[in-house]
Amino acid sequence: MKNDDRSSRPLSASRRRFLQRTSLLTGTIALGGGSYLYNPKGVWAADPIKVGIATDLTGAISWGGIPNSQVAKMVIDQINQSGGLLGRPLQMILEDTATNEQLAVTKVRKLVTQDKVDVVFGGITSSMRNAIKDTIVNRGKTLYIYPQLYEGKECTPYLFCTGPTPAQQCDTFIPWLIKNGGKKFYLPSADYVWPHTLNAYARNVIVKNGGEVIGEEYFPVDHNEYSATVNKIMSSGVNVVFNTTIPPGVAAFFKQLNEAGFQKKGGRLACVYYDENALGITPAHEIEGLASCLDYFKAVNDPFGNQLQAEYGKLFGDKLLFTAGSGATGMYRGIKLWEAAVKEAKSVKREPVAAALDHAKISDGPGGGCEMVPGTRHVKMNMFTAVSKGGKYEIVEKSNGPVMPGECA
Amino acid sequence: MSQSTDLSASSLPLRKVIPWLELAILGASLILPAFADDFWTLFLTRVFILGLLALSFDLVWGYAGILSFGQALFFGMAGYCTALIATKLDITSVLVLLPAAGLVGLIVSLILAFIVILGRRVPTTVFVALGTLTGSYVVERLARGWSYVGGQNGIPSLPRLTLGSHEIAEGVWFYYMALGMLVGVYVVLKFLTRSQLGLVLAGIRQHETRITFFGYRVQHVKGIIFALAGIIAGLAGGMYAFHEGYVGPGQLSPVLSTQVVLYVLFGGVGTLIGAVVGAGVIEYLSFMLSEQYQRLWPIFLGLLLLVIIMFRPTGLIGFLVSSRERIGSFGRPGDAAPAHEADKNPP
Amino acid sequence: MTIIPFFFDVLAYSAIFVLVVLGLGVIASMMGIFNFAHGEFVLLGAYTVYLFHSSGLPVWAGMVAAPFVVGVVGLALERVVIRRFYATPIVAMLGTYAIGLALRETVRSLLSGQFYSVTAPLVGSFSLGEISISRWRTAVILITIAVMVGCYLLLTRTRFGLQVRAALENPALARASGISTSRVYAATFAFGSGLAGLAGGLMVPIYAISADMGVPFLIKSFLAVMLGGMGSFEGAIAGAAFVGATSAALPWAIKPVVADVVVFIIAIAIVKVRPQGLLSKWRN
Repeated sequence: MKNDDRSSRPLSASRRRFLQRTSLLTGTIALGGGSYLYNPKGVWAADPIKVGIATDLTGAISWGGIPNSQVAKMVIDQINQSGGLLGRPLQMILEDTATNEQLAVTKVRKLVTQDKVDVVFGGITSSMRNAIKDTIVNRGKTLYIYPQLYEGKECTPYLFCTGPTPAQQCDTFIPWLIKNGGKKFYLPSADYVWPHTLNAYARNVIVKNGGEVIGEEYFPVDHNEYSATVNKIMSSGVNVVFNTTIPPGVAAFFKQLNEAGFQKKGGRLACVYYDENALGITPAHEIEGLASCLDYFKAVNDPFGNQLQAEYGKLFGDKLLFTAGSGATGMYRGIKLWEAAVKEAKSVKREPVAAALDHAKISDGPGGGCEMVPGTRHVKMNMFTAVSKGGKYEIVEKSNGPVMPGECA
Repeated sequence: MSQSTDLSASSLPLRKVIPWLELAILGASLILPAFADDFWTLFLTRVFILGLLALSFDLVWGYAGILSFGQALFFGMAGYCTALIATKLDITSVLVLLPAAGLVGLIVSLILAFIVILGRRVPTTVFVALGTLTGSYVVERLARGWSYVGGQNGIPSLPRLTLGSHEIAEGVWFYYMALGMLVGVYVVLKFLTRSQLGLVLAGIRQHETRITFFGYRVQHVKGIIFALAGIIAGLAGGMYAFHEGYVGPGQLSPVLSTQVVLYVLFGGVGTLIGAVVGAGVIEYLSFMLSEQYQRLWPIFLGLLLLVIIMFRPTGLIGFLVSSRERIGSFGRPGDAAPAHEADKNPP
Repeated sequence: MTIIPFFFDVLAYSAIFVLVVLGLGVIASMMGIFNFAHGEFVLLGAYTVYLFHSSGLPVWAGMVAAPFVVGVVGLALERVVIRRFYATPIVAMLGTYAIGLALRETVRSLLSGQFYSVTAPLVGSFSLGEISISRWRTAVILITIAVMVGCYLLLTRTRFGLQVRAALENPALARASGISTSRVYAATFAFGSGLAGLAGGLMVPIYAISADMGVPFLIKSFLAVMLGGMGSFEGAIAGAAFVGATSAALPWAIKPVVADVVVFIIAIAIVKVRPQGLLSKWRN
């Protein structure tokens, strides 16, 4: 029988440990771990070049922001491992723009005012880019590189875009669609700037190639009921549905379209932002035959891209993949092009780097190398058309060399 | 189940904490730019502007009992209108734009008041809340879809405000301008709530029908207060747009409106200083949490807010200030009887 | 013959919406609290089904489990948090807002911020000539009707139902009559949450699951409750039917972006003109 007089026993070892751990935890929470600053490993002779990454790690666009931040970290670590840039290491400062433009401005302000970064990469949605660009470029006098596919027409000086533009997504894609789908197009879209501008461009290309636009409709992004539209599509013999509705509405739309028998009757579904991450939004059979046109797919199977994928997978797992639709490829491109520009300019100051970046090129990247089109601050790159078969992408066409962005000429 | 009021404390001399708090905050704010780096100056400027917005909510809810979930509507509309004036008409003078912002706030709030608050029948608190929330929601959806005002992107790259030929850049200049406006409005509201009108407001907050029976035109009073709050929110909105350099539908949204309600409830309703403190604390907490826990911070923020709401529903001010002082008393000092009468519970 | 898809469309959307609003309405009428986390209860129901689906368990089992899981969560929240604030409903509402935020962001983290699809228990559609009617959406309509009938029977034929109705109509009198309002409140909150969970579970095969799926329902649901009239079960259904039907029907006639806004304006206008709502039982 144990004599268990608790009042006279000193604190048991486990209880002490618990208290220690709790106070340590509280202390850490109070002081914080400061996890946003990624310092270069090792000992360096010179002080670091500061790279600011401002992207949506939380909020509705976190599916894009997290891969962006992960790719950035991977590339920056690679650069540091091979000796840094101009003999200096790169220090990555990551800020969460939280899919909230009000909060984002403060974060970006911190990057340019307090951390005094030498360059900012980031923003995914156009509304985010528009909210933060003034603080970075005008007020902060810092270089800004935007990595995501978008509607074009961003011609602000010192703002470089490394994602595909409407021209790149439509010029080769639409002729393929007409050949492999038909001439009658329908454009169901989400109601915001990107679909409107993309549709305007697409319409021109469609008509130029002998096609016809039967209808163009705009919905709020969370719109759930598409029966009216599906009805119109089925009854007017539409061959190609060039879709720009986005999640969450797109799931309902694709399902309702599929249930009405669109694919069964030979219709072709097209959606230019659909990448590997998006394949999970609907069951595979609902998007069978869906065609997309992006600057990279894993199915491209080029050795450089495969190597990048392997490394990314090793570091970050497979929850959020390295894809073109999330801007991760644009982020890779952007950082490497900037690196090339800094090497050429032999400086990190905005003026010389921007001048060098204006015509920078890299010979390797996911989907191949790419090059800035001088005077436009946009990148010409290879474009790939892929079709979803059984829930996986198959490349059906590769562009004949890099496609021009057609912006800010 | 009402909150306890220390009636027993009425016999002791009343130690007022709030004036000291106000002075301390004012003093610190005046000298801060000398010590803090640029970033914190900018951060605080934004806090002052949001604090101004929070004051507008404290005015309508804490003093007039109107639960308006639509303050961001006036804030955002003023921002949009001044942004349009600045970009389309090339007018950037602060002497034109800030009054314009206030005017927009006034007009929109009067329209919303007519629809939601005024009328023959007294609307329920819930109806006012939902009606104003709907107003904010509807206008945000419309702004998102209207390409003239930029749709989802809003109006980016706004020019700076000017005073004559001098640009009011964000930084020290803007800081003192925002602080000046905040202090100015604060003083006006302080005066207002201690005046006869303030007494009527306290009465409306407590028991609207009774005040009507006393002969006060309650609808007029409510309309005036709501309009005043609209002007204040509009002023804040105009400053915010030019400080941040852009205006977007997020500045009109129910999310911001709800955030404002949180600021005030967190800080302490009906104390004016509570609104400003609440805005500052929540903004600071959001920022620091987001720095430390980059992917999980919204969860922590939600939990933290919940914990504070659960254990301190009277807000942060409740930590420093006795409930008697927070609720307020009217009447001449030293006069025990009137002080008792006015010692009632806030809604 | 577009009339059939039109009616089906309206009916299908309204069915889901009624389930969501019913839960909210009962809580709002009983306790005067508009549960800002209601959308997240819908989300939790959807998430339960998603969990079943991704662990290989049958989807329909997840749908049966969803209302119970969410009901338990609701009950826990009611006991721990909401119960403190019955005297100050405004603070309660903000408390539910904070809860909703925490829940939504937790699920977002668990889903890695992505959208996922779940296959319906009944795949495919009936074809009536040229028209295809989704099998699963038909099932949802039938299930909703069954649930409403079940609730009606529960409320009118059982003693518990009588207590609930009494507490709904006149809480003070109910307490005075010896009904334990504390228990009725807890049961009602659990019931309301459970209904939301069921709605979420049923809708997941139709719309993909994502952390923000509950958000669009929130304000519309509040309006529907006000519109239908607080204080009665039928009121919530009426309001939901009206708002749901208008939301689904208008986009057939006018642009969807405009239709969305018009629904709100109509709802507010009706409540302004008839503040007690369409079918209110409250004496004041």
